[in-house]
Amino acid sequence: MMPRFPALLAFVGLVMVASPVRSQSVCLPAPRLLTTMPMGGQVGSEFEITISGEHLEQPGELRFSDPRITAAVVHDDAGKPSTNRYTVTIAADCPPGLYEASIMTRLGLSAPRIFTVDTMAESAQAKPATSATEATTIAVNSVCNAIAAARGINHHRFDAKQGQRFVIDCAARGIDSKLKPVVILADATGRDLVAERGGGLLDFNVPADGTYLIKVHDLTFQGGPYFFYRLALREIQADSDLPERMASTRAVNAAAWPPHGLPPKSTSQEAEPNDQHHQAQRIELPCDLTGSFAPEADIDRFEFTAKKGDVWWIEVASNRLGRPTDPTLVVQHIEPSEQEEQRSDVLQLTDIPSPVKVSGNNYAYDGPPYNAGSSDILGKLEIQQDGLHRIQLSDAFGGTRNDPRNVYRLVIRKASPDFALVAWAMHMELRNGDRNALSKPITLRGGATMALEVVAIRRDGFTGEIELAMDNLPDGVTATGLRIPAGKSRGIMLISAAEGAPRGVSSATFYGQAEIDGKSVRRPCRLASMAWPVTNHWSEIPSPRLLHEVAVSVSGNELAPITISPREEGILQVTQGQKLTIPLIHMRRSEFSGSTMSVRTMGTGFEQAPKLDIPLGDDTSEVTLDLAALKTPPGQYQIAFYGGAVAKYRANETDKTKDIVDIVVSKPISIEVKPAESP
Amino acid sequence: MANPSVNRLTPLLLAIAVSVVASARLTHGEESAKKINFVNDIVPILTKSGCNAGVCHAKAGGGQNGFQLSLLGFEPEQDYQTLVSQGRGRRLFPAAPDTSLLLQKASGQVPHGGGIRLPRDSDGYAMLRLWIEQGTPLSNADDPMLTHIEVVPPSSTVAIGSKQPLRSIAHFSDGTTRDVTNLALYESNQDALAEVSEEGVMQVHDIPGKVAVMVRYQGRVTVHNASIPLSEPTTDPLPETGNFIDEWVLANLQSIGMPISDECDDATFLRRVSLDIAGRLPTLAETRQFLSDENPDKRSVAIDRLLQGGDYADYFANKWTALLKNRRDEASDITSNFAFHAWIRDSLLANKPYDQLVRELLAASGTVLGNPPVAWYKRVKEPKQQMEDVAQLFLGVRMQCAQCHHHPFESWSQADYYSLSAFFTQIGRKPTAVRGEDMIFHQRGMAEAKNPITGEVLRPVALGDSVGDIPPDADPRLRLADWMGDPNNPFFAKALVNRYWKHFFSQGLIEPEDDIRETNPPTNPELLRALEDHFRSSGFDLKELVRVITNSRTYQLSPQPNKQNVVDRQNYSRFYPRRLQAEVMLDAIDRVTESQTSFANLPIGTRAIALPDNSYNKASPFLRVFGRPEGLSVCECERVRSASLAQSLHLMNAKDIKAKLSAPNGTANRLAKDSRSIAEKIDELYLLAFSRYPTPKEFQTAQSYLGEPRNSADNKPLSQEAALQENLQDLIWALINTKEFQFNH
Repeated sequence: MMPRFPALLAFVGLVMVASPVRSQSVCLPAPRLLTTMPMGGQVGSEFEITISGEHLEQPGELRFSDPRITAAVVHDDAGKPSTNRYTVTIAADCPPGLYEASIMTRLGLSAPRIFTVDTMAESAQAKPATSATEATTIAVNSVCNAIAAARGINHHRFDAKQGQRFVIDCAARGIDSKLKPVVILADATGRDLVAERGGGLLDFNVPADGTYLIKVHDLTFQGGPYFFYRLALREIQADSDLPERMASTRAVNAAAWPPHGLPPKSTSQEAEPNDQHHQAQRIELPCDLTGSFAPEADIDRFEFTAKKGDVWWIEVASNRLGRPTDPTLVVQHIEPSEQEEQRSDVLQLTDIPSPVKVSGNNYAYDGPPYNAGSSDILGKLEIQQDGLHRIQLSDAFGGTRNDPRNVYRLVIRKASPDFALVAWAMHMELRNGDRNALSKPITLRGGATMALEVVAIRRDGFTGEIELAMDNLPDGVTATGLRIPAGKSRGIMLISAAEGAPRGVSSATFYGQAEIDGKSVRRPCRLASMAWPVTNHWSEIPSPRLLHEVAVSVSGNELAPITISPREEGILQVTQGQKLTIPLIHMRRSEFSGSTMSVRTMGTGFEQAPKLDIPLGDDTSEVTLDLAALKTPPGQYQIAFYGGAVAKYRANETDKTKDIVDIVVSKPISIEVKPAESP
Repeated sequence: MANPSVNRLTPLLLAIAVSVVASARLTHGEESAKKINFVNDIVPILTKSGCNAGVCHAKAGGGQNGFQLSLLGFEPEQDYQTLVSQGRGRRLFPAAPDTSLLLQKASGQVPHGGGIRLPRDSDGYAMLRLWIEQGTPLSNADDPMLTHIEVVPPSSTVAIGSKQPLRSIAHFSDGTTRDVTNLALYESNQDALAEVSEEGVMQVHDIPGKVAVMVRYQGRVTVHNASIPLSEPTTDPLPETGNFIDEWVLANLQSIGMPISDECDDATFLRRVSLDIAGRLPTLAETRQFLSDENPDKRSVAIDRLLQGGDYADYFANKWTALLKNRRDEASDITSNFAFHAWIRDSLLANKPYDQLVRELLAASGTVLGNPPVAWYKRVKEPKQQMEDVAQLFLGVRMQCAQCHHHPFESWSQADYYSLSAFFTQIGRKPTAVRGEDMIFHQRGMAEAKNPITGEVLRPVALGDSVGDIPPDADPRLRLADWMGDPNNPFFAKALVNRYWKHFFSQGLIEPEDDIRETNPPTNPELLRALEDHFRSSGFDLKELVRVITNSRTYQLSPQPNKQNVVDRQNYSRFYPRRLQAEVMLDAIDRVTESQTSFANLPIGTRAIALPDNSYNKASPFLRVFGRPEGLSVCECERVRSASLAQSLHLMNAKDIKAKLSAPNGTANRLAKDSRSIAEKIDELYLLAFSRYPTPKEFQTAQSYLGEPRNSADNKPLSQEAALQENLQDLIWALINTKEFQFNH
């Protein structure tokens, strides 16, 4: 008999199938420092901070990205060390700015958290003051470290006299906070006077003597420890320019700015009025010029004379300077005329696209969740005919905005081929609909190999291959770069810890090397990471940023669930067009769900290899690569296999096991493809 | 939502369908001796007979049985082809005109779904027959063209209950005229005041005021303005005027002989102005202070105080947020919705000039977080929709009809439609990390839109006004914003002041408030013009507009009618009470019961008027029953203003209301424990609910009720405090169920 409720049964069946998947976690535990309170301190001061985070078991040294900031664990009266309180000392010679704090744990060095050093006095609010009557006092010319209350508004108060001028700044997103700050200046009763919701400075001229409130909340009224902020109240002169914003982290795309060798300051300045064609500002090429997208709907015009066949490279930085701008540039050839000059478009430049496809808002990953592109400009200008040329530069986002702080730097140069590199921990779809965007510290378990995706932002026509390397690694750790091929933008860095690698940490040097115009050049590779472990980037927008250092650490306490390595060390040799069989050894230290792991191949020349199944229950396997199908030309190669496997994980013997799906990357394999003999 | 213009049209067309068929009266020349002109002579008959109405054979309505004419004959050339060349030649048969299907159907000789439209003995039938007999000519090269129509008289003063015949005269390019009274179409803009027959006779009913009759003939429109004075006009001298508003209101009232009501008392004023400006009841302290204040300027002071507060910004942001479609369709919309709402609220708080506010919205670029008005482009994605929303919301012009055909009530053509939408054709989008949310920017290029019917490519033109050439680098939206903010713009200021006038007086000077056109004139044009001038000269200062309206004596009139102005509906001789809108009433109940409604994700204490989007309607039966809009439309009509049985039942019986009355920290429980006298407690409740002290009779009733003993559910006597608590709950229940509470009056 047919079931009467097939739909219901189908649903039950779906639930039964789905439930084991739902119990999986994504990625093995990684230590992450998530909060420090306070989030910074004054130069030359000593104070206590409290930390919190994920997987911070057995916390050890609290480490900063600059040796002039140090920390010592706080001991209680009985001499027992605290697990989350430290005394931080900022040396008097430590420059103000952003630094990173991270903590050494059982699993290795944690993902870092921004720590600010400032010149102003600091305070920390004990808990949010959710009503005007509870408002806590903030001293003038000081910074208050605080958190926003969930479904609440935090109140700070200060006294002011008529005629005084104050600037209020609230650092949040720029110091790794989840807070989208709303800052409102209100009178003593809580009546709103001025609001700043765009993350800008709030400029307040005091209308009358009295007490005023600064109300801070999240745009959508979220709150709690992750919604921290540093509120600065500064008095400035009535006729002063607005001060700079508090320091902020840099976006991933800033890895490509400034170009190597660019002086810190430009050599010339935009001169308004230059909006109209007849007002175009005369420039000589090459040029390096600073300007501003202001006032509203500003168009800056520059003109120069060039000859047919001249080639120039034009680069504009504004978005990469941290400004919310979208520069657009047009070059026109100008044909003077007694009537009306004739203009013809030569070139239009808009965004710098990401060198690799960025993941969209899809069901699962279709690229990395990092964007190395920007709304800035980089392009080649080839002069088609002699004569006058005119550049018009505008901000596509600037139609109704008048903010002189939206600056840009325009560089026009002869070709100077070069590259910049940025890397991040590899993400891939680990289960159906997986959209995690986690901060992943390079914290290695013994026997583990971690893959970093490396992206090259090429400049001025540079197309050569780029070798990748890392130095200054902890003992027992090796790094193998899978090079970025000529004309391509993506490579891989594999960082492996030997099974017996000792617990340790170091600040590594990560770089790429290439030959440009016959010279070997070496450029640093910046590391980017998510500020937070976001488990679903549909519900929470991840905030990737550049890290200050490439910290590599080894747990010394845990081993990888499995190590897959070639049975034979050394270089495997194969003739072009033949099949290569690679025997693999599986060093299993964990049980796994499922009997096989489907793997792909990484490494240029082999990435098109079909998916392969590796038996998880066996100690060895063999994989075969068909070089005829891959059409891999002769040469030296480094490859690795990678896939996702569900390990039965437990941190301690006494714990229950948990199903955790994570990326498994084999040890690197070296291959030499020899030319086929001529028939 | 259906297009209101079409909705308004439909009854008229149906009326035509059941009416006596019109006849053409040929008055210029020897008609039978000359060739008939299809456009001038035939199409008007088809239109008057309803053949090309939306529900019959208009293409726009689908065209019954494959016979498709242009709506109301706006495309006569197409209609000619339809009649002459289509239908396999059966429609027209010049050799035997009477056997033409057109005539046989129209006269009911063969079955016709639309019934008999042209009896065989009608002039219209004769004219059509003659045209067929003549070989269905289109036109002669020297035939005159229709230039305009005229209604005679153009205006009138008509006594209540009487009739006024109207004559419609068509003017042609050769200087000739033609009486088309029986061929023209008539529509009153206030059926309650006057209706017009098929033959152009206006019948005035029993309500005094101003009424306009739209006269349409062959795509041309004109209007007859009628003034209907009171049957027994007052001879009392007019009171002193407060400001220019009063001058024009009183001048109008004088013209129809209608006296005004008295000035409202202080309590009524304070409650009214607080509800209208701040969307809330006055606080106890405000009420007590105001009622005891002897400052003669205290009303102006109160207005200024209300305008300075965040409540004003909350309340008007609530109004604009719905009109700007700040709608939560996905959970991830929360950030953009909160940002957009906050931007509107902050702009109002800072009293950003209205032209600037609209400019920032219209030409928004960037990301939602960086520039929140970009959120509008998240909801309104297509250039045509953007244009239609902008036209209706900021210009009071409904362009929807003109997308498919010439606007039936206006001069707007399809070219006007697509020329206006061309301003929005260079909007570029880039995806963001947020699903469904784009970055918005001006995409370099020439702005242009194609008329899909003619294929003509049109550059941006603002409702007939040239804005000059827009180079590819310039954002056309900025040019449109410039045009809007121009002091000579005839729409921008008018639309806003009319919208705000309606906010305070329930009745716009033009109704509907976003359907401004020549054929829908204001009831008091001088007043509207004066308000526009004031608004423009103030630098589009929204607070000043509110200030000048609420400081007028007109605004401060009593709602109590006198014997003569009881019938007044549009002359502002008294204050027209209206039900509190959903959010305001919920806040008022929260205030009187001291039981705050909690809204998801928002701080405790957030009031309903400060809700950022529609998502809260789902969890609040109260807001749904009382008609809080969902942000689907740019029309204020989406908000339900009427009262209903469901609303009454909700206030009387709903769980949420009962819970508020008996809330542990609510008013009833607080007052029950309060050591003050019963009299003070009653005073407080009346001040809270009505902003006034109770009358002696009310006081006596309340006092008596509060002193009554109560039994528990198991019939045991309750303690005095418990009984008082229950009685107080009952008293509060009674207060919030009064019309005085539920209405702003």
